[in-house]
Amino acid sequence: MTETTCCCPVKKETDFRNATGLYIALLGQPNAGKSTFFNYLTGSNQHVGNWPGKTVEKKTGMFVRNGKTYHITDLPGSYSLSANSQEEMVTRDFIASGQADLVCILADASQLERSMFMVADYSGIKCPVILIINMIDVAQKQGKTINGQLLEKRLGIPVVLMSASQKKEYDSFIEALDRPLQSLKTEALFAKYKEALGNTFTGLCELTKNEDCKFFSSEWLAIKLLENDKDIILKKRKQNLPLSIENTIKVGSCKFDWIKELLDGIVTGGTKNSEKMGRFDRIATSHIWGKPLAVLLLVFGLVMSFAITVPWMFFSFKLPRIIFPFIHNWLSGLGSPGWTISLSETLFNACGTSIGMIGFIAGSSLVFGFLEDVGYMARVAYVFDGAMSKIKLQGKSMMAFMMSFGCSMGGSLGARVVDSWGQRVLTMALAWLMPCAGTWAVISVFGTAFFGINTIWILLSMFLCSAIIMLIAAKVFSPKLVGKTAQYGMIMELPPYHAPKWGSLFRLVFSRMGSFAKRAFTFILGVTAVFWFLAFTPDGHIENSLIYKFGTYIEPVTMWVGLRWQTFVAFVCSMMGKEAALGVLSSVFGTVSQVVGRGEVSPDLATQMSSVLTKAEALAFMFAFYFNIPCFVAVLSMKEESHSLKWTLRIMAFYITIALIMSASAYYIGMMIF
Amino acid sequence: MSTLNIQKTGTCCRVIGLQGDSHFLSRIIAIGLTPGCEVEILRNRKRQPLILFARDSMIALSRKESENILIKAL
Repeated sequence: MTETTCCCPVKKETDFRNATGLYIALLGQPNAGKSTFFNYLTGSNQHVGNWPGKTVEKKTGMFVRNGKTYHITDLPGSYSLSANSQEEMVTRDFIASGQADLVCILADASQLERSMFMVADYSGIKCPVILIINMIDVAQKQGKTINGQLLEKRLGIPVVLMSASQKKEYDSFIEALDRPLQSLKTEALFAKYKEALGNTFTGLCELTKNEDCKFFSSEWLAIKLLENDKDIILKKRKQNLPLSIENTIKVGSCKFDWIKELLDGIVTGGTKNSEKMGRFDRIATSHIWGKPLAVLLLVFGLVMSFAITVPWMFFSFKLPRIIFPFIHNWLSGLGSPGWTISLSETLFNACGTSIGMIGFIAGSSLVFGFLEDVGYMARVAYVFDGAMSKIKLQGKSMMAFMMSFGCSMGGSLGARVVDSWGQRVLTMALAWLMPCAGTWAVISVFGTAFFGINTIWILLSMFLCSAIIMLIAAKVFSPKLVGKTAQYGMIMELPPYHAPKWGSLFRLVFSRMGSFAKRAFTFILGVTAVFWFLAFTPDGHIENSLIYKFGTYIEPVTMWVGLRWQTFVAFVCSMMGKEAALGVLSSVFGTVSQVVGRGEVSPDLATQMSSVLTKAEALAFMFAFYFNIPCFVAVLSMKEESHSLKWTLRIMAFYITIALIMSASAYYIGMMIF
Repeated sequence: MSTLNIQKTGTCCRVIGLQGDSHFLSRIIAIGLTPGCEVEILRNRKRQPLILFARDSMIALSRKESENILIKAL
């Protein structure tokens, strides 16, 4: 057999296996507890990135037990192994490439029948398997007992019953890894196929025999053909295949019939008469109360994450101001030049802000991780599905939008609950349209200075524009990010509520804090220093700074969109942090001597500004500012969460373009009105 | 024979057929709604996705998709 006749997409990424040890792939349906399992095993030894050329997240990690090294790849969660989505294609390609010695399939003990579908769909793939029946504690609470040994005998592979949130239960999994590698017994299932489909099945098996490859058996390929699998059909290019809806359905029925017989006598007990939908769920999914409850809980979550954070933030914002006078005295005592004092003060303040941000990350990760962990997010997804599907998103995206009102970075974190990578990036991108706390502060100061109470109309028109831009952004980005998946309606499991897994929750919080801290102290300080350098003047006159020279030089161009050099500089600086704009405005209008790092508002700012800017120019700035990139930290967390520099840059470019277009439109409309 | 989308809340039925393209079939089969499967309707209101109980799981299903599931009342 050569690779050219094989229909398995073998190739590429051979360099993956450059270390010794056992290579494990994790496979399972959503909510089977794959990520908890993965996080427990690998701890901080993980690498998160994207599958090459795909908009799907790739998580790999390793762990060492009893002197042996194990490499583990978390395959993207999907309900089956058909070629319907990029996630499923990635999974298949990975198995076919021979990069895994062993596949661990996770199933949910409390819904064993349904989650065993993955095992049925896998049958016929020749890579060895271990079956992990997770959440055994939940099943026990339901009064079910599962006979693992009998199941082992029927399937011919090691079966581990465990609860992935209990550390001590991993021993049995490690023991299973030491046992000889086994492939699934397939005879019973294949017999079912033969019985239901007769010659259609055996004929196709004959047809695929020549294409039988190392990992996919001819029976598996035949079944995928009967399921009308696009990928395999394309590769076959054969006419007269017996493809029909009926056959696809028959194959599906065979799988569940097999599961039913397989589990006969294995799962016993279980409360038949328990309430299927609890009282809370009746409210949480109600057409009247579902949405208000979700909004209320999300707002409460936002308030809680601020409440956890505020003492910390207050302390870290204040700290530089307490410490700095000593540094100041020390530096001037040494006779250091003025610029060192100015730079160190700026950097100190940036440190304080970064540390404060870490607090916000911790608070919001904890609160929203909790809501996800207990299973409530699936209900949020349910109630907002209708609204969000209009912008090609899942209902869960609502959560990221809500969080963005506090802080745009929170929006990026909130998007974590969206399970498809593309929709997650789109969610983060659209969440940038939500005005954060800093935006509100600047818009209200600036707006009242020029327009007084009429600022409210400006705000309303901004919201209207946001809604339109949201639709445009969804149109622009969704073809590449979301593709066809969004055109299909929701088919989703609403998982039962669980007690939160505090261990893995805090692990998540700490790992987020850590990865942010690492970046904050490199990027944020670096960028702050660059801005400081551009705006620094030894004598305190802004006219001597580089930023002034650049701003006035480019002013003839920026006036096309209605931005004077002062407002243009403030616009550029607000990319670093929205609230920085006030400090910048204060200094470029000549009332405060220092530009970056203070964020102090001069009391005369309003009069100073209105003597220089016309109303149309002020309006232009407000729109440019409002639709600009939220801040450098938001960009950073977008890059962090999307693992894609390309998409981060694209989205940045989109927002800068939109901001300038909005600025120009506001300017020309403003000139007509005022 | 009837379709799932017009069943009232609280009714129990059995899936007897599916229609639609192969993408839909593959997704609906993977979540467990195959012919023979018993389904209880937990919630069915206009302009809201349905909530079903089948194979020990609570499943949310959009209205459009539920039109393609043929059932027999039990």
